[in-house]
Amino acid sequence: MVFEKVKERISDILGVDPDDITMESSFIDDLGADSLDIVELIMALEEEFDIEIPDEEAEKIQTVGDVVDYIKDHADM
Amino acid sequence: MDSRICQMLNIKYPIFQGGMAWVATYHLAAAVSNAGGLGIIAAGTANGEYVREQIKNVRKLTDKPFGVNVMLLSPYVDEVMNVIIEERVPVITTGAGNPGKYIKFLKEVGTKVFPVVPSVALARRMEKEGVDGIIAEGTESGGHIGELTTMALVPQVVDAVNLPVIAAGGIADGRGMLAAFALGAEGVQIGTRFICSDECAIHENYKMAVINAKDRDAVVTGRTTGHPVRSLKNKLTREFERLEGEGASKEEIEKIGVGALRRAVIEGDVNYGSVMAGQIAGMIKDIKPCKKIIEDIIDEYNTTLSRLRG
Repeated sequence: MVFEKVKERISDILGVDPDDITMESSFIDDLGADSLDIVELIMALEEEFDIEIPDEEAEKIQTVGDVVDYIKDHADM
Repeated sequence: MDSRICQMLNIKYPIFQGGMAWVATYHLAAAVSNAGGLGIIAAGTANGEYVREQIKNVRKLTDKPFGVNVMLLSPYVDEVMNVIIEERVPVITTGAGNPGKYIKFLKEVGTKVFPVVPSVALARRMEKEGVDGIIAEGTESGGHIGELTTMALVPQVVDAVNLPVIAAGGIADGRGMLAAFALGAEGVQIGTRFICSDECAIHENYKMAVINAKDRDAVVTGRTTGHPVRSLKNKLTREFERLEGEGASKEEIEKIGVGALRRAVIEGDVNYGSVMAGQIAGMIKDIKPCKKIIEDIIDEYNTTLSRLRG
């Protein structure tokens, strides 16, 4: 479920086809994101899942799976 | 001028001097602060000891508040931040990233933090992390740039945050300052205009290149590498264009930029050096003292405001 929602947000913000987004996709290398796209995505996901993703954690995020795992561990669902 | 920025920082005019690497040394920063603006020393990619020396020197020349610009991608960023905290620098501006992890330590010593941001999302994130104001910098600026123009970026950032916003990019006179205030900014950051000041301690060739520049001369290179830079058209920018046109690798392209800014600023090589300047360079026609630059901006701001009121 988390993955589906995250996928939708990524697709909106980066303008990529949802079918091209997998847990293994790298934001920068596969989805063409730059650092500002990632900030935008993180802000959107913080609001959507009502969580805080601190900068130290945000810096470690490289793949869609990284962010999905972080949300699963921290969101109240 | 009555402004939240002036009250917060204890300065006379809400004018920040841009933190231009190699260009913005203590000489320029002290002159701008003495003239009532906020002078800023650029740390660039220099180490902590260089920055400490600059801070000590600026304090010999002025007792007014000043700032340091920290380039977050610098290999020395941690030691530069330590020096800033030890020296209790009144204000910092930051570029090329997110200063989030340093904010807590800076606040402990009372340093005010103004990140330079090119997007709404980063501005909102910075507000959440407790910065004191936002510098919204449009693509008209010189040096490393973002995508949005000042005209489009500033009002969107103003609407998105509750902090004071400083507009940067394309501002060099009182008309530009008033326009920025119309967009909701409460201060301006000015770089290129201060290059052409008596106190700016750089090679004369650099200043003359800015004075001779026309409206279309401040071109962007490096878009293909993801790190676009605006500088005055010369043999170096043509070489960038050639390599980018040939589809050269990012490494090959960035290699010719290494040391290029220093070459222009210190050695005065304006052909093969990087003469970073903003689009407004075409409007700058003289070299004058910082005090005169600021007074002229404020006078023109006031006369333009009266004219608009009719």
